[in-house]
Amino acid sequence: MARSSRRTGYEALPGAAGLRAWARRHAYSLLSSLGSLTRQPIASSMTIIVLAVALTLPTALHVTVDNVERISQGWERLDTLSVFLRAEINAEQAAQMANRLGSWPEIAAVDPISPEAGLAELSGQLNLGELGNSIADNPLPWVLEITPETDTPVATLAGRLEREEQVDLVIVDLQWLERLDAMLALIQQLVSLLALLFALGVAFIIANTIRMDIQNRREEIEVMALVGATAAFIRRPFLYTGLWYGLLGGLLAWLLVRSGLIVLSAPVARLSGSYDASFQLYPPSPEVTVLLIAGSGLFGILGSWLVVGQHLRRINP
Amino acid sequence: MISFEHVAKRYPGGIQALSDVNFSLGQGELAFLTGHSGAGKSTLLRLIALLERPSRGQVLFEGRNVGKLARRHIPYLRRRIGVIFQDHRLLSDKRVFDNVALPLMIAGLSYGEIRRRVRAALDKVGLLDKEKMFPPMLSGGEQQRVGIARAIITKPPLILADEPTGNLDPDMSAELMRYFLQLNELGVTVLIASHDLELIRQLGQRVLVLKAGQMVDDLPARLALTGDSHGP
Repeated sequence: MARSSRRTGYEALPGAAGLRAWARRHAYSLLSSLGSLTRQPIASSMTIIVLAVALTLPTALHVTVDNVERISQGWERLDTLSVFLRAEINAEQAAQMANRLGSWPEIAAVDPISPEAGLAELSGQLNLGELGNSIADNPLPWVLEITPETDTPVATLAGRLEREEQVDLVIVDLQWLERLDAMLALIQQLVSLLALLFALGVAFIIANTIRMDIQNRREEIEVMALVGATAAFIRRPFLYTGLWYGLLGGLLAWLLVRSGLIVLSAPVARLSGSYDASFQLYPPSPEVTVLLIAGSGLFGILGSWLVVGQHLRRINP
Repeated sequence: MISFEHVAKRYPGGIQALSDVNFSLGQGELAFLTGHSGAGKSTLLRLIALLERPSRGQVLFEGRNVGKLARRHIPYLRRRIGVIFQDHRLLSDKRVFDNVALPLMIAGLSYGEIRRRVRAALDKVGLLDKEKMFPPMLSGGEQQRVGIARAIITKPPLILADEPTGNLDPDMSAELMRYFLQLNELGVTVLIASHDLELIRQLGQRVLVLKAGQMVDDLPARLALTGDSHGP
């Protein structure tokens, strides 16, 4: 320490006594920081609410993307290839072809659909009713619905099927899913960027609040410095205050997102019910929750560190 | 204990507060620092407690060049100096007890130890019954005594007082000065800036005179007048 040759009893004491002194100083700082938070309950709550709103935006966006991803993963398992055979292929040839393709290792199942079945399904979908029956000359070919094995690269399989002589057209209805995936990945990156931006926002909101706190307690800080408080001792209550702001803001943001999900769960259930599906909204994962609250706390400390350090340099020449 | 060697202090903006000041104060000595307001008394005290750094020259405290002290060592220097201000510098939203306890809180003493020493210090300045009050509820003299209790609570070897009697009536001022003499008898080095020349003359202690930033006189103590009650 500074004056090891002249011990006054106030330098870091060795051993257990030093640890006790350290713990007492920390307890003092902790109480002092809580005091400054509760002394101005309205100002403090306003800061915490601003923080929570700022943090709710990226968190809510993340939760949305996360839920869309979960749903789209469910869809990907439904992917099939529709192989349209040439118009001249008859039932027997179609069945032979179905058998042959069924033996390919990449293919899990082949489901032949006759032109009649196809027309019936189509007219059912389009609500044509009797009109379907009135089409005398069925224009539809035989179609083989192919379910690939789960880890088959679908594009390669589609290419191979297209080279088959009897195949007219292969429709892979996955493009939109790929686009959705790409879009979700993009949005997820946007969420990360936003999270970083809002984390900086948190640091600066807290820095500004602490700055006002410092203005109000300028006298106290100067007196503490005069009677020999170290920079660390003066800084510590403000760092704690920053930590509390960050933690409480993060916690409130999490509560807001959770309440939002609860409010939305009933409409989502109604919507998914109308599609005969059962979508379920997933709350933020434990990792994201911890990241949100702890990260917000850390940025709170960072923010107050910046502003207190700047102020301390003015007191000690 | 304190030694100034060719010390000058120029504030930003070109105000020359001190120029070429030389003097020294031995351990256990008591001296008054006088001069008109603006003569540089406060600046001189601020240089010792390292509230300012000298522009030129050396300020030595306990043999150490204070002006060159690293910023992180400043707190440890200030813990060895008790400073008393004309405006008390008390925290008005904290009780008398907590004001006096502040240096000990900073040192991390246990609450029991703090209570014992604060009560002893308040007893010494005659304010034990006021420990639960807030500073604005006290008279000027009482507030000044709270400031003194805070300055002596860590038993520093040096006490600096900047116009301690500035706001007090003559009786109260004399009582306060006697208190500083008592402290000095216990071996504490004391330097008091004051322009209360009448009172200083009565006490007959060593007097340093500043004029326009220069040390123009250094009058030794007249032992006969004080009855030889102080240290060396």
